[in-house]
Amino acid sequence: MAFYADKDYTQDEASLEAANQVMQGNLSLHWYDANTEKIKGKPADLRRGLTYQDLDIGSYGYSSIPEHVRNSQSMVARGSEKWGKLPDMGYVINRKSEIWSDNVTSLYEEDKARRWTPAVDVPWIELDARPLPAELEAACAQLYTFLQECALVSLDFSSRWVSLVNQDFIEQKSWMCAQMLGWARLNEAFRKRALYGGAGLKRASVAAEQGLKEWLFADTFPQGSFSINLSLGGFVLAVCRQVAAFAPSRVDRALMGYAMQDTARQTAYGYGQLRYFLQHRPLEANAMQEYADETEHVMLALMGNPELLEPLIIIAGGGLEKDQVRNGRIAVSKFIRLVAREYFERIEAAGLEGRSRRSRIPALVDRIEVPA
Amino acid sequence: MAVSFPSTEYFEALRDRMAAEQEKFRRLGFIDTTFGVRVGHNGKTRNFVLEFEVFELKGVREVDAIDPQKVDFTIEGDAGVWREMIENIHRNGEADSSHDINTLAHFGEQLKVVYDSPDGHDKLYRFMESIQRFFDLSSKLDVRFN
Amino acid sequence: MAYLATRNFLEDKDFVDKWLYTMRTGELDLSWMDAKTEKIKPHEANPRRGLTYRDLDLGSYGFTGVPEKVRGNRSYAPRGAELPEGLPDAQPWVSRKSEVWAFNTESYYEEAVSRQWNVTTDIPWERLDGVEMPETIGKALSQLMTFLTEVEMIATDTPALWLPRINPEFVEVKAFIASQAMDEARHTEAFRKRALTTGWGLMKASPMNEMALKHLRDADSFSEMSVALHLVAEGNVLTLFRFSEYLSPTDVDKRIFRLVMQDEARHVGYGMQHFKYVLENFPEKREVVHAHLDEAENISFAGAAATELTESFIILAGGGLKKENIEEGIKVTTRFNLKQMEEHFERLEKCGMPERKERSKLYQMFEMGKAAAEAAGIKLS
Repeated sequence: MAFYADKDYTQDEASLEAANQVMQGNLSLHWYDANTEKIKGKPADLRRGLTYQDLDIGSYGYSSIPEHVRNSQSMVARGSEKWGKLPDMGYVINRKSEIWSDNVTSLYEEDKARRWTPAVDVPWIELDARPLPAELEAACAQLYTFLQECALVSLDFSSRWVSLVNQDFIEQKSWMCAQMLGWARLNEAFRKRALYGGAGLKRASVAAEQGLKEWLFADTFPQGSFSINLSLGGFVLAVCRQVAAFAPSRVDRALMGYAMQDTARQTAYGYGQLRYFLQHRPLEANAMQEYADETEHVMLALMGNPELLEPLIIIAGGGLEKDQVRNGRIAVSKFIRLVAREYFERIEAAGLEGRSRRSRIPALVDRIEVPA
Repeated sequence: MAVSFPSTEYFEALRDRMAAEQEKFRRLGFIDTTFGVRVGHNGKTRNFVLEFEVFELKGVREVDAIDPQKVDFTIEGDAGVWREMIENIHRNGEADSSHDINTLAHFGEQLKVVYDSPDGHDKLYRFMESIQRFFDLSSKLDVRFN
Repeated sequence: MAYLATRNFLEDKDFVDKWLYTMRTGELDLSWMDAKTEKIKPHEANPRRGLTYRDLDLGSYGFTGVPEKVRGNRSYAPRGAELPEGLPDAQPWVSRKSEVWAFNTESYYEEAVSRQWNVTTDIPWERLDGVEMPETIGKALSQLMTFLTEVEMIATDTPALWLPRINPEFVEVKAFIASQAMDEARHTEAFRKRALTTGWGLMKASPMNEMALKHLRDADSFSEMSVALHLVAEGNVLTLFRFSEYLSPTDVDKRIFRLVMQDEARHVGYGMQHFKYVLENFPEKREVVHAHLDEAENISFAGAAATELTESFIILAGGGLKKENIEEGIKVTTRFNLKQMEEHFERLEKCGMPERKERSKLYQMFEMGKAAAEAAGIKLS
């Protein structure tokens, strides 16, 4: 055991006596006049219910969390009275700029409101009525194998940071839990789709997984968030939009419709976090540029690995005939340009100026040729 | 009664349908976005701003020009593309996979999504199911094209 | 950086050339089409339930076929996919099935997804408008809610901490743990929101409870964590929720407790099924878990000594601070305390650890308390 409570309460006379006193009717009521702010929150809009934004009041509000959260390392809820000997939970994220994004509370509320259930919200049995041609189904099996790898890494990312985030950032932690469930749900949906089609799973991608592990194991949360929430989130969002646009079945279209909503929220948080970080830590912009210099090669691992590239071509073209592959390549070349354009748009709008000029990706994307 | 497209009456009719099918839209979740719709015809454009809040279309208005700072994104396209989409919805009860908003706008070749902020742009995808089903309500309208 | 990919893809000429070549020529490699994986055709066993993880429990993709010791896959590849050379090691700590598995894990997850509720909109907050509770009740309720936000916080961090340590082969377990973290986040939200709508705000922290609860997170193994979190702590909290629903001063509070209760019962259900699985498949763990329970049951003693919680409970149960209220409150609280302990030992017995009673100091306390209660005319049920 890494931790034992400060006392063996089974043997502690003072504790046992305190409990006995209460059960004999001698209440201490030491908590009765807690030195805390008295408020009565109300929903601002009854249609929306009682949101976290409605409770952004005084000492309880997230707006009043300072940049440096000091003297608060326990489980105590923000705004309640601290007393006695509280445990130190060992949080390492104690600066607001390290984690916060102005859209955290709205994304959390939106996530709950826009929940869905893969088991019943996707019309799976339509694949029985209208099965896909074998090569298209195989391409889907490979695509969804790849997407499960992305989902598993993203699931691990939020999970590995939650317990390291100071409890004062409760809305943020809640959002990260919503992200966890969101990725578990997407992983479920991708797995179900791959297996229901009848082609089984296909091949894991060494290139993608090597790259994703580099992103997942980033040293700091802002770096990891830049990679996983903003870059990977934006990338998977684009894949979902692409597959929805060229959906080989109503099942794929429905699934990708839900998936794009979830991944767009990840991306929105990643964007908001980077922006907040750079607004409050402008001197660290250069370090972030250097981090991007070092790790941006993973974008290429994602765009260029054959386990994604080839099924995308087949799905967009509709099959393996020469013309279909050509049409597929045209569509995928547009997709790659769209991925690169939106990636730079987001990070530059978030405050990482000049990234597209500094990056090696645009020149590489310009080398893509699809002869007529 | 037939409503004409493009017009505020068309969007108001969709708004009323949306309110009538409140339960379906509640299940899809909050939709908080303001976006523009631009319809081009013979070198002219008609511009609309749609403001969604919670589960509803709170307001729609026609404007001379859409201020990109005041909307999350604008979906623009020629009247013919919009017409084809609405007619397709009318025939199928909902847009088929070649005529949904995402497909039409994906590469910006039929409909185009324009935006100032990428964060605003991403809202199209955050609320995609609600937006698509909003337009799918056209299947229940008798639409006349100007 | 803590990990570097085996190659920098921007500098990998072969990788870049192959990418550009594929795009230029359309000559696809397609070797993935011949992946040596199984082809299966699942179907929805019950169309009303939709396509579930259980429907996918087939062949090499199924959870039934996962071996006790997972040696083949330590990467992010989904179970059943072809694993080429060069996949990274995800560094899982837990690769043994009996360390994490529970009978019906997949069903607990599916249930969690389908029964997600929303604190913001599923609680009739508007009904609190105009509700004025007596000061004693309002403060006692706020104090109870304050304590519960602390409890739910550790119940969020603990599963989240363990999730990335679990081998991705156990995808249904990871999914369930993710759903649990989200459940607990919603519970924190519910209790915080309720405290901030009483008019009294949050009240005082509960240091003794916090000190005891930290132990949940820092267990040596997943199984020990699960027994302490899912069975001891959440089992206790489930009883607490049931009593709290019974004592709720408003129908809004009743609804909150009914909703959190169903999530909590699911977590306890997973914990029980996991513990059964451990005892049946990893018998060496029995003594380890006993030792861990010796410490975990310390939580119950700490809880009893945390007067800010017990007192608020007594006031809610008795309806106020007058002598007769306190007397009634103590009776109900005594029943609650005994019920909590009784159910704890019932669960352990049901899982296959009946001998726990002989070893446990908590059980001694239960027997003493029960005898004293009966002498005082308080019936357990």
